[in-house]
Amino acid sequence: MQKTLISGSFKKATVIFTTAAVASVVGFIGASAPAHAAAPVHVKVWAWYPNIKEVVAKYNATHTDIQIDWTNAGAGGDEYTKLKTCIKAKSGCPDVAMIEFQTLPTFSILNPFVDMGKYGASNADGRYAGWAWAQATSGTKVNAIPVDGGPMAMLYRKDLFAANNIKVPTTWAEYADAAAQIHKLNANQYIATYGNDPGWATGLMWQGGCLPYKYNGSTAKATVGISLNTASCKNVINYWGNLVSQGLVDSKPFFSTDAGADFDTGKYWTWVAAGWTPGYLSGVLKTTTGKWAVAPTPQWTAGADAQGDWGGSTFTVINQTKHPKEATSVAMNLYPPQKTIDAGSPWDIGLNSAFLYPLVTSVESNPAFVSHTYPVFADQKPNSIYIHVSKVLGAFQWTPFQDFIYSTLHDETAQAIAKKEAWSAVLDNVQTKVVAYATKQGFKVTP
Amino acid sequence: MKRRQVLIGWLFVLPFVLVVFFFLVLPLIYAGYLSSQADSLVGGQHFVGITNYIDTFKDPLFLEGLKRVAIYALISIPIMLSVSLASALTIDVIQTRLARVFRLIAFMPYAVPGVVAALMWGFLYSQQFGPIYWFAKKLGFRNLDMFDPNIFIYSISGIAFWAWTGYNMIVLYSALQGISREIYEAAIVDGASQKQIAFRIKIPAIRGAIVLTILFSLIGSMQLFTEPRILSRYTNAVTLGYTPNIYAFNLAFNQSQFNYSAAVSFALGLIVLVISYGFLLRNRRMADK
Repeated sequence: MQKTLISGSFKKATVIFTTAAVASVVGFIGASAPAHAAAPVHVKVWAWYPNIKEVVAKYNATHTDIQIDWTNAGAGGDEYTKLKTCIKAKSGCPDVAMIEFQTLPTFSILNPFVDMGKYGASNADGRYAGWAWAQATSGTKVNAIPVDGGPMAMLYRKDLFAANNIKVPTTWAEYADAAAQIHKLNANQYIATYGNDPGWATGLMWQGGCLPYKYNGSTAKATVGISLNTASCKNVINYWGNLVSQGLVDSKPFFSTDAGADFDTGKYWTWVAAGWTPGYLSGVLKTTTGKWAVAPTPQWTAGADAQGDWGGSTFTVINQTKHPKEATSVAMNLYPPQKTIDAGSPWDIGLNSAFLYPLVTSVESNPAFVSHTYPVFADQKPNSIYIHVSKVLGAFQWTPFQDFIYSTLHDETAQAIAKKEAWSAVLDNVQTKVVAYATKQGFKVTP
Repeated sequence: MKRRQVLIGWLFVLPFVLVVFFFLVLPLIYAGYLSSQADSLVGGQHFVGITNYIDTFKDPLFLEGLKRVAIYALISIPIMLSVSLASALTIDVIQTRLARVFRLIAFMPYAVPGVVAALMWGFLYSQQFGPIYWFAKKLGFRNLDMFDPNIFIYSISGIAFWAWTGYNMIVLYSALQGISREIYEAAIVDGASQKQIAFRIKIPAIRGAIVLTILFSLIGSMQLFTEPRILSRYTNAVTLGYTPNIYAFNLAFNQSQFNYSAAVSFALGLIVLVISYGFLLRNRRMADK
């Protein structure tokens, strides 16, 4: 009996609250609002951003016409597995799905995307970083809304470089010299580990001027360009292979428990990594917080300004949706443009709790982001370095079978690390296998 | 009357039949249909007969994975089952409270879900946190890396040993309980030692149970999936076709090659069937002699 009374009064409180909310909305945007407020459209979202639960809660609290039903369907591949299954089954997909940049063509060839351009998505006002927008669109079709990226820079142990009087490398030649000096100081220490993450390797190759893929899903769906064994691509892989073979760079995979701990013990001095990596490091560092700093990625040519990206994600709208307009609005406004980054706002959560690198330009150039400091880097304000990278990043394309390329690159590299294959053969073998695969899949393969 | 009984009989097994039909037979038929089709990313789906199967048996990735699980089975099953059998015989003889406690403890790993066990072993094998590396270092093996691609398959054997030895022990121990105690008494009267009782009476008597544990272990080994999949983040070892099941999974869910993946799965099933049946047949012949 008492229970009923309590829930009864709770309901009443909710009604009063809702009425007040509706009244204020009516007052604000006029007469059409009550119809929306009466029955909010529910939009299903799959995403795995850290702390997204709070961002969704914020969205739902501030919107009466749309409510988000959020599910974490797994990170990366785990979500893609489910997404491919529901696309294949033609039912059960969410309205909005998070997809990484390199995976967009893999999905777009299955034709699951709503063209969000028809529902108001555009970059005419420079709302999103240009390089990211180029990857999110196919011809005039808007397949995806960029949210976060991974412009690359070098994280390094400032204290160790200074104490041992080693120059912080600005070119890859200096980096190799430093690698030898570090390993000579202590045989258990390395300048880095070659984590054999294909996305990371691709970012480094990108920075080295290697643009191996050509694909345009809207004009030539069945033609794909693959040129992984060109000089600029091989140059990057051979450089790292040389360091690994000499024992100057370790080969523990990134994100394993051990590699995480090794960043904290002084075993690894640097990590050329993405704009979101400080978030990962914040989680694994215990004793060396504040001893790290960020410097631009070493250059192949002294004084040059070549850059790369590792990772980043978008929101897409799946065409099984009954509410494409509302879903597009969610994709664009879950992490919206913000002039101020107030405490508790979506990007406050995105930047300060989730450590995302924003591809929404009004946030990217926001003073609050530009001058942000992180405990990992003590008093350094590293974001200006990442912002510069995002600004000068050029175009980069992906293939509709990026996963096959990544797993082939991973497996061939593993062979080279295990000394069962020459490093110089890695990209030749990947090229051969990928071309064979693409041909079998019915693609016309061009260089 | 007879007919009525048959109907009632069917009614009793109906829930089971329905579950088997909808969740086993139907998916199998669908997968069988899929495996006879080809579907490329560009261009549609069409009938190709057994081409996918011919490709599978010529696919170096499939064969490499098959070879790996075969070696894995040959290494881990004899060791595991010897220990299971020895433990079962021991606690059968001891029959004290200690034996009961041991039985429970040995069985416990079986209650831990495979995914959780794999994650746990990820820590146990760690160079930073794991006791195994700590011991190895004390003994002078500074370079031991349980995630090294060359020894990772043995690391997985270790996990399987931990997970299944106790389970198999219980199966064998239960079989031992079915032997009439009077036979032992007669043997003792005849002057047989415990060792002779174990080898001459107990082991031959539970032969059926031993065959069963070998068969189940063999099938489980051929279908190796969870441990390498979960631990792939920790090592460079787990390649696209590390085991046939991992290959089938990657083909279907990472490369959208559902048809070829279905053929790979069926091919693996076929091989497991042939091996199991061959093993049983051989065993029956030997038993008949």
